[in-house]
Amino acid sequence: MEVKKEDPIIKIKDVSYVYDNKVVALKGITFAISKGEVVSILGPNGAGKTTLLKCLLKILKPKGAIYINGKELWKISNRELAKTIGYVPQRYYSVFAYRVLDFVLMGRAPHHTMFSLPSTSEYDKALKILEVLGIKDLANRTIAEVSGGQLQLILIARALVQEARILLLDEPTAHLDIANELKVLGIVRSLVKKKIVDTAIMALHDPIMAALFSDKIILINNGVMVAQGTPRQVLTPENLYKVYGVEFDVVERDDKILIIPKTIPEA
Amino acid sequence: MLSKTLLIKALIVFSLPLSIISSSFLGRYPTNPVQVLESIFSVLIPGFTGSPPEALHRIIWLYRLPRIIAASLVGIALATSGATLQAMLRNPLVSPHILGVTSGAAFGAAITLAFLPGYIPIELTAMTFALIAFLLVFAIAWGWGKGSIVSLILSGVIVNALFSAALSLAKFLTPDPHRLASITFWLMGDIGQAARWDDIYRMALIIIPCSIIIVLLRWRLNILSLGDEEARALGVNPVIERSFCAILCALMTATAVSYAGTIGWVGLLVPHIIRLAVGTDNRYVIPFTVFLGGTYMVLADDLARCLTSEVIPIGILTTLMGAPLFIYLLRKAGKVWR
Repeated sequence: MEVKKEDPIIKIKDVSYVYDNKVVALKGITFAISKGEVVSILGPNGAGKTTLLKCLLKILKPKGAIYINGKELWKISNRELAKTIGYVPQRYYSVFAYRVLDFVLMGRAPHHTMFSLPSTSEYDKALKILEVLGIKDLANRTIAEVSGGQLQLILIARALVQEARILLLDEPTAHLDIANELKVLGIVRSLVKKKIVDTAIMALHDPIMAALFSDKIILINNGVMVAQGTPRQVLTPENLYKVYGVEFDVVERDDKILIIPKTIPEA
Repeated sequence: MLSKTLLIKALIVFSLPLSIISSSFLGRYPTNPVQVLESIFSVLIPGFTGSPPEALHRIIWLYRLPRIIAASLVGIALATSGATLQAMLRNPLVSPHILGVTSGAAFGAAITLAFLPGYIPIELTAMTFALIAFLLVFAIAWGWGKGSIVSLILSGVIVNALFSAALSLAKFLTPDPHRLASITFWLMGDIGQAARWDDIYRMALIIIPCSIIIVLLRWRLNILSLGDEEARALGVNPVIERSFCAILCALMTATAVSYAGTIGWVGLLVPHIIRLAVGTDNRYVIPFTVFLGGTYMVLADDLARCLTSEVIPIGILTTLMGAPLFIYLLRKAGKVWR
């Protein structure tokens, strides 16, 4: 479906979620995401980021309304949704060491019925996506043999093979070193800018990385939205103190903002 | 490299018909292989001109071949169930035996043998209790342990213990000592019990369609093996599809158990051997497991028939063979699953 530039791809209206044990995970979250935006859902551990992603994936059913491409989320079938949203989990624990190419190919599942098998053209598609992400040389290795950064790219490749136009990433760099962190987030950003996907939504806990890579930041804390907007609008020293309880300096540098902790806690 | 895997794959596929034919040469009655082949082909190929001796023809078609075919069906059922369960539960350590499904089926069959012989078909009670065992395992593993690898094994241990105890009780309460003896022997696992053509047709009617459906589902098993959340994100409903596979496995296992008793280790061992040979992708694991499962059981039954002058119960043999083989595989398979 063609989405007009001005129409939001994702609209979230007054979304709240309460877990069974009465813990309020989300309260009255409202925002919209347009085509071409890299969006970070930012907040400390336990802020409700993963809960929000699970609501978008139809794993949890919240109060309020979520629209994807103008359609009410819960009216979209699981299979249809899987063709729209590609989910990149935080980490993948492999039990069976699949070959990377076979693993990426599993992203074709929403395009198949229970009994059909992927075709050679789908194989070629998977190989091409591995090439785009610069990991084609891994195709014949097993996923037990690749590094954390490579695995994250493989998971992104699988989401791209799904042909989903929306990427949803849950803390994609939580287990990575700084070089791989920059690489993975840079690749995610360029996928949006090169129009390979319409938008990428990432749950992040690190405001420094969110400042560098996002067009839009949704800052949440204890399930409540604290601020939303561009990194400059959202990442003010006041907001950061409110959410993280740490004083930061926010420094302008070229077209980016840099966030530097003011005080280093001591024992 | 490529041709080597191709050779292995071809070997696995051809091992089944080869083992079936060559096993029909074996037995206490001395037979001439040429005459055995004549006997087989004279039935299979219309217009084949050959006249095998009458006594030999009867031995092949009434005793040896039924037993061999029954063995291969039992092997197919147990090995395919094992591979399916391992993939869909993302757990390389499960098999129908370890999850207690075999014990459930055995208990179901035993109560019919003990109390209602001849009134209802034993497959029916075996299947019912195999499904009950599955439900119990799932309820325990997901109800309390979120379906983790350890919680699944533990719920298997619990269900196994439960049905073993129930089975002992059923044996204890069996009114007739002759029936008790027949239950005990049957439980040790003996292919010979199924060695009549009508039994084989009835077994094949369940086992062959179920394994064909599972072969058709083989790529889907890859997706299920990613875990619930990821399967869901890929548009698959893991609960429905897993239940469907579980029912197929229960039907096959219960059929094998009701004709041949409890035979362990096949469902665990054969898929692991296949993963070492062809890799972890279920598109290859499942079909090759079907073939090797059949071969493995035919060869095990050859040993059971020919090792001593008595027929050793095959369940004892598969365990004796399986345990050391599995120790070897555990050492070797570390890189295939972790």
